[in-house]
This record gives sequence, C-alpha cells and structure tokens, in this order.
Amino acid sequence: MRTAPILGRFRGGYVAPAVLLVAGLLYAPFLWTAYLSLTAYDGLADPEFVGLRNFTRLFDDPALLTSTRNTLIWVVGTMVLPVGLGLLVAVLSYDIKGGAWFRVPFMLPYALSGAGLGMVWSPILSHDGIANLLLGTDTAYMQEAPHNTIAMLLVWTWQQLGVNTLLFVVGLQSIPKAPIEAARLDGASGWSLFRHVIWPLMRPLTAVVVGLALVAGLKTFDIVWAMTQGGPGRNSETLAVMMYRETFVATKYGYGSAVAVLLTVVAGLASWLYLRRQVNG
Amino acid sequence: MRTLAALGLAATLTLAACGGNDAAAPQKKSELSLYNDKGAWSKYFDGMGALSKQQISLSMKPVGYTDSAQYQAFIKASFRTDVKPDLFTWQTGGMLEEIVKQKQVADTTAVWQEAIKAGDLPQDLAPYYTVGGKQYCVPLNVAYWGMFYNMPVFEKHGVKPPTTWEELIKAADTLKKAGVTPFYHTSVLFSFVWFEQLMAGMDPDLYDRLSTGKAKYTDPGVVAVMDKWKELIDAGYFVNAGDKTDPADLLKTGKTAMVSFGTFFNTSMTTRSMAPGKDYGFFVIPNVNTSLPKTSVIFESGPLCALDKAADPAASMKYLKWWTSAGAQEKWASSRGDVSANPKVTVKDEALNSITKDAGSGKYRLVNRYFEATPPPILSAALDGFGKFVSDTSTTKEVLETIQKAADEYWSTHQ
Repeated sequence: MRTAPILGRFRGGYVAPAVLLVAGLLYAPFLWTAYLSLTAYDGLADPEFVGLRNFTRLFDDPALLTSTRNTLIWVVGTMVLPVGLGLLVAVLSYDIKGGAWFRVPFMLPYALSGAGLGMVWSPILSHDGIANLLLGTDTAYMQEAPHNTIAMLLVWTWQQLGVNTLLFVVGLQSIPKAPIEAARLDGASGWSLFRHVIWPLMRPLTAVVVGLALVAGLKTFDIVWAMTQGGPGRNSETLAVMMYRETFVATKYGYGSAVAVLLTVVAGLASWLYLRRQVNG
Repeated sequence: MRTLAALGLAATLTLAACGGNDAAAPQKKSELSLYNDKGAWSKYFDGMGALSKQQISLSMKPVGYTDSAQYQAFIKASFRTDVKPDLFTWQTGGMLEEIVKQKQVADTTAVWQEAIKAGDLPQDLAPYYTVGGKQYCVPLNVAYWGMFYNMPVFEKHGVKPPTTWEELIKAADTLKKAGVTPFYHTSVLFSFVWFEQLMAGMDPDLYDRLSTGKAKYTDPGVVAVMDKWKELIDAGYFVNAGDKTDPADLLKTGKTAMVSFGTFFNTSMTTRSMAPGKDYGFFVIPNVNTSLPKTSVIFESGPLCALDKAADPAASMKYLKWWTSAGAQEKWASSRGDVSANPKVTVKDEALNSITKDAGSGKYRLVNRYFEATPPPILSAALDGFGKFVSDTSTTKEVLETIQKAADEYWSTHQ
C-alpha cells in the first residue's frame, strides 16, 4: 500500500524556498568561484580564461607549503587540544558537587568572536606585552614560526575548551547508566571504568566533536587575521588566510579562487574520509 | 511539472529582484557620500561636510573603513553594483591607472586647469594625477615624509635634530645607550618605510629605475640598501617589528624617540593633544650618500575621486572643485594640523610650513612614495618580503628574489 506523502501534493512548493536559497547563496557562488579559479581577474576588467594556470602556479608557490604546514598544525592542534582538554574537564567535573560552577570559567571565552579573541590576546602576547612582563621573558611569541601558530592555537584552545566540555557533559549525561553500574559492580573504577566503559559509549559523540574540530581547523581564518594577518612575512598564514590575502589584498581574484577551490576539496575530502570511517567503524 | 514551473517562476522573480537598474536617470543630490579608508579621520570629514553645506549647499557624509584591503575590495565591487560611492579616496600611481583604464573615474581636467589658474593647486602636482594626458581626481592630501621626534626625550639626552646621516646615527647611539629605542618600524603594511628611505638616501635613481622595471631587486645597489638596513636593525636601533602599539603612542610615551612618517602623522599627534615645537618636532632625514646633490624627501599625494557613472555627476564634480579651494582647504588642513595641497594655505606648525615651502622651491629631490611608485602585485610581494626581513634579517637574499619574481611576472606583460 502506498502511503500519502507527509506534505501532500505540493511538497515541491514547500521545499522550493529552501532549495532556491541554498542554490542561490551556496552553490551559485561556489560554481562562480570554481570558474574564477580558471581565470585571471583583478576585480576590475572582465575575467580572462587561463585554464589551469592558477593551479600550476599555486603548486609552485612556496607560500602554499607554509600555509599547508600551518593548516596541518591547526588541524592536529584543534583535534587534540580543545577536544582532549574539553573531555578531561567534562570527565573531571561531571559527577562532583558544584561541577557546573567549575565549568563556568571555561565557558565564558566562548562568547568572544575570533576577532575579539585577537583583540584580547594580541597585547598580551606582543613583544612588549603582559606575557613577557609577567614571565620575565623576552620572547617574540607572535613573530617566529611555528611559535606564533602554536601561541594562537593555545588562545584558540582557551576559547573552544568550554563548548567542547559542554558537549562532552551532555554526552556523559545521555549515556545509559546500566552498563556503568554493572561495570562498577564488577569492580571497575577510575581509569579502567573510563577506558573500557564510558569511552566506548561516548564514541558517537566524540566522532561528531572531532569532526567539527577537523573542519574548524581546516578553515582557520579570523583569529589569525586578527592577531598576525598571516605574518610576519606570511609565516603564520593558513590556507584560508592565503585565500583571503591573494583575493582581497593582492587583488588576484583568480588565484585566490584557486586556493579556495583547493581548500574546499581538501576540507570536503577530509570530512568525507573521516565520517565514512566513523560511520562504518 | 507544476512544481518545476513554480520553481522556474520563483527563480525568475528572484533574478528580476536582484537585477540592476543601469538605465537609472541621474539624481539630484543634496548630500554626497564620501567613502574612505581613513576611518580614524571621520570627525575631520564630518567637519568638511558641515562646511560644504554652508558654503555650497551640498553636504557630505563620510563612510570610513579602517582595513584598506576590505575598502579596496568594496570600491572595486561597487563599480559593478548599484551601491556606488559619490566620492571616494584612492591611491595615485598604479592603482589610479588601473581604475582609469576601466573607465570608472571621472575626468577632472577642467577642475585642475581652473585650480592651477587660480593658484589653488600647484602645477607640479598634476603629473601624479595624470593618466593618458588627462587629470583624474583631486588631492585629498599631500604628505612629505620625514622624522617625527619626541622633543623632551631629545632634550633630556642632549640630542639635537641631525643634519647629516652621521649625526643621525650618533643620536641613535646616544639614545640607545640611555635605554631609549631610537627608531620605529613595523612588519605589517608600512614595512617598506625604511627600505624606501634608505633607497632614496643612497641611490634615488636606482629607486626610480626599480619602480619602472628597469632595475632588479637583486641588483647590487638594492642589496647594499638591504645590508645597510640590516646593519641598523642588528645594531638594536629599532623597536620590535611585531609590536602592535600605535607608533604615535610610542612617540608620545617616549618609548621610541623617532618615528619616520608622512606629515599626515601630525593628525595622530593632534588627536593625542601633542603640541608641535613643544612635545614633538620634525626633521628631514639626511641622505646616507653624502655625494648626492639634493636631500631626497619622500612625497605622496592621496586622491579624492568621483565615479564616471556617479548618481549625480554634476554634484560630485562641484564638490571636488570646492575641495581644492582655499576656503575648504583652510579647514581641512587646520583641523588636522596637516599640510595642504593648496599653496595658499599655511598651517600653524612651523616645521611643516617650512618643508612645504622648501619642497615647493626645489630644495629637495622629491621621491614618489613606494606605495604609489610600485605596481600593486609587486608591492604586495614586497610588503610581505620586508615584513619577513624586519623579523629575520638573515633573509635578505630570499626576500629580494621573491620580490623580483613578482616583478618579473608583472613587467613581462606591462613594459
């Protein structure tokens, strides 16, 4: 027996606004960017078709190597630090009295935007900043690579820790209690309880949190732009910063679009591989 | 089928709604928008808007940006959309040529001719605004680059404004020994300042050849300039290039004794309630090469432009004409404490009056600022390169080769 569609005969009409919005605001600009990546375009004269020239140049550009290295640091860093520490804070604060209050200080920085984060931390980490003053050191944190990327990653961790903690706490609250009780009766506690019972139960959620961190790491832009603008001498540039800089600072829209296409392919491929592994696993 | 038709109709309506109205008739405007990348100058622009309303019954509202990349992207995009500025600030040199070639900028030849005749604009400023024999835009400002210094700091350590390079270095040594950082430099945007200054003071002809693609960044003369620059940095004369403190604050607090900047830096002094001749002074930076016949002074002029297809072209042109007049320039110069492009206008600051007068009388060799003299793609590579160099002075060769690569690419199609 055929059941009637939930939205009735006009279901196409119902989804049309959403389809149009997505097509107009997401797919059309993407296709336009993909086209621009095959052109030489300065934003003024009409784009001139140059085939794959932007891509051959891109793979020959030393800046690509630097930005790929920095992006990799960001990806690995965001998958390990904010996620790992978030899980730690969640587990440590989960079943203690007043745990929610313990988590509040970790949550507050999440309210800051990437640019706001840069504004707050730049004066602290600059050469004549508070960090050097308090530590009695004379380090140019924001200038040498890869120290500047690592310093920004720590700032990013400071901000992201809270939300990851929150996600893990929700995960801890939603896992079934029975297996934990059973394991406790069998004598499991502390690390062995976490390692063999809680962690496997948390796995679906961890997959999501790590997946989000993976994509966030790949597209890192605002915090870098606010703190170093990718410098000095492009040594803290990420792929997203390279894309912005080539497009809007150097006004090479075609070349910048080529970076955008590469970044999209990399982010899409990484997410697909990761999710496929997680889902199948 | 019906669904498809509905989708098609909706798409058509959406496209129609987004479409342009190219055939729009010129409007009659009583208020003009002035888009600029000088967000910090908003109150001065506001003052000009109020004055123009009074004097020519045309008011002006500034729309200020602080990020120049974002600003330039907006202006370029506006050429293709309906959100167009009535007036906008830009840069002379390659960037002006670029938008003139696209027929986006209104021709101001008539305004220039009239202003030169009336003595409101000097003839020798016209070449900076000339593309293909015609003038475009009018001067928003002019600036001569020199050294701003903290007067009480100089006095405290018995340092006098130097007249030779040797004296400048001696002054730097004295200040450094007393725990004051002599000079300011930065790795972001204005990273070119000391390169340009040393080039102009060592070999200005080479500088000119470099900016027209007739010399290479890897030439021995350019390497010598970089070596000189490295020598100064390695001697510990500069602040850390990555510091984000505003140079005006460094100068005001006396952490840095000298800041090399254009005369527009006076506006930053004014906003910090610093008085010329008391809190700070200004001197022309002496040449490194003493055999040069004239002291080189870096010069720049920023344009105020109108679009060729402005909403009300007559009003925009009327405003530009008014902008060059002594009545407008008195206010523009005095409110900011800066020099004016109009020779009839003098400012309170004696040091600035004298450099304007001396520059006008041919005492100096005026050298076009690096920002305007260098084509945009080469400039972009150079700013990054110098940013890298000031953070790590061992990168000279790598930096010059990278800039030259961008230059080779550019000049291969632009000679």
